[in-house]
Amino acid sequence: MPLLEIRNLVVRYGEIEALRGVTCAVEEGQVVTLLGANGAGKSTTLRAISGLAKPTSGEILFDGKSIAGLGPEAIVRMGISHVPEGRRVFPGLTVKENIMLGASNRRASTSEISREADAMFDLFPDIRKFTSALGWTLSGGQLQMVAVARGLMAKPRLLLLDEPSLGLAPVIVQAVFKIISEIRRNTTVLLVEQNARMGLSVADYGYVLETGRIVLGGKPDELWGNEAIRAAYLGGHAKASA
Amino acid sequence: MDLALQLLFTGIGIGAVYSLVALGFVLIFRATNVVNFAQGEFSMVAAYLMVVAVEAGLPYWAAFIVALLGMALLGAVFNLGVYYPLRHRSYLPVIIATIGASILLANSVLAIYGPQPQVLEGWFETPGIQVGPVYLDSQYLLIIGVTICLVIFNFWFFEKTLLGKKLQATSQDKEMASLLGISVSTMIMITFIYSAVLGGLAGILVAPVLFVSIQMGSTIALKAFAATIIGGFGDVAGAIIGGLALGVIETFGAAYVSVPYKDGFAFLVLIAFLIFRPQGIFGERVAEKA
Repeated sequence: MPLLEIRNLVVRYGEIEALRGVTCAVEEGQVVTLLGANGAGKSTTLRAISGLAKPTSGEILFDGKSIAGLGPEAIVRMGISHVPEGRRVFPGLTVKENIMLGASNRRASTSEISREADAMFDLFPDIRKFTSALGWTLSGGQLQMVAVARGLMAKPRLLLLDEPSLGLAPVIVQAVFKIISEIRRNTTVLLVEQNARMGLSVADYGYVLETGRIVLGGKPDELWGNEAIRAAYLGGHAKASA
Repeated sequence: MDLALQLLFTGIGIGAVYSLVALGFVLIFRATNVVNFAQGEFSMVAAYLMVVAVEAGLPYWAAFIVALLGMALLGAVFNLGVYYPLRHRSYLPVIIATIGASILLANSVLAIYGPQPQVLEGWFETPGIQVGPVYLDSQYLLIIGVTICLVIFNFWFFEKTLLGKKLQATSQDKEMASLLGISVSTMIMITFIYSAVLGGLAGILVAPVLFVSIQMGSTIALKAFAATIIGGFGDVAGAIIGGLALGVIETFGAAYVSVPYKDGFAFLVLIAFLIFRPQGIFGERVAEKA
């Protein structure tokens, strides 16, 4: 049984049908990458899984249990942590405080959470020196590290990562993906990426999303092998269709 | 000089009341992005609760606790009845609802208690003490003491506890807070209860100095609102400093310039700030979103 299974998921925002029947699965222990152009529905898929977007129809099964329609607070308690697009680090709280709040989905004493947050800096040494800096003072790459660290504090079974490379310099993107390859040792990851090359480099499996539907799924080398897909999404230089 | 010292003491005392109400404004504004126009009525209702409890024969301290518990309850009911049903709407319906609630509260008290202003005794038997040239009124001393304790508590609560951090996180980005498992509706409930108790405390403390009347809420609220703008809207320290500054300014204005224009000074300062420094003393320190 896959850890996460999505069947015929439809999400509507008013008149707009953002997802038009998405079906996909994430096996425990894997990194699965969701590829697609802007507006294809990648972020909406993650938002539906974490409870931020209400599914119009379809099923979302986590560990065999239906979670479609539950609120985000309930879903993160079940073990799905969502690191959304744009990092969303609290600007008026310090890095350490941001990371500590990541544990809000479970019961633990403040001192325990504080210790775990300190330990988190071993995985993210680059942000250790910003422990008491306020969120708004950080750069994009640092914010991404904080956001991922905060997401991991939930001790999730499934981590949803939305566009972690967006707007980052190539060397920072490398650092972020190095962290993803470390995370995968303990945590299942569903990754959304526009940067297909990076996205597939860490993945066990990939899906291509086009205007609200999954058009292709396969192992990274199979996706690389598909000429049409390669031209449209993976070429890097080819124009992406909306 | 002696007069100035005396005025400074009185000004800080009355300013402390504005600070407490202003703090309630700011906390609710930060949590919900809405100005609660019923904040002043919280003070008024609390003062009446206190009058009722004292008249019922309760000892002063017990009446105090009863009134504050009543305010906590009112804060919760206010959240559920006024804010919660409209939480997914824009700020405008919520603001109108708070104005409606303020009218409802004022007129309910009027219907029950009538228009006659009530008198509430102070906490202490001794009216005050003379320290050098300054006469320290015991009620003002109490107001200042309680305000200092609350400012310290407020700082500890928001800066040193995880719950305080969760409240701050909720006020900065509700959606992200909910993704982390923070119960946004609980955080907003806590904010309303806390703000109602703060407003209530201000009303109870100031009641022996003023009369307990239906209008006391709107007067205090207007001054407190001015205080939040002077301090920098949305800023906790700004609300406290702004409240104290306003109390001192209007007390000095009344003594040295004109007593009838006492309330006018507060608004003169407000207008001056709106023209020359609309972001207030402390400005907006946290950018809305990065």
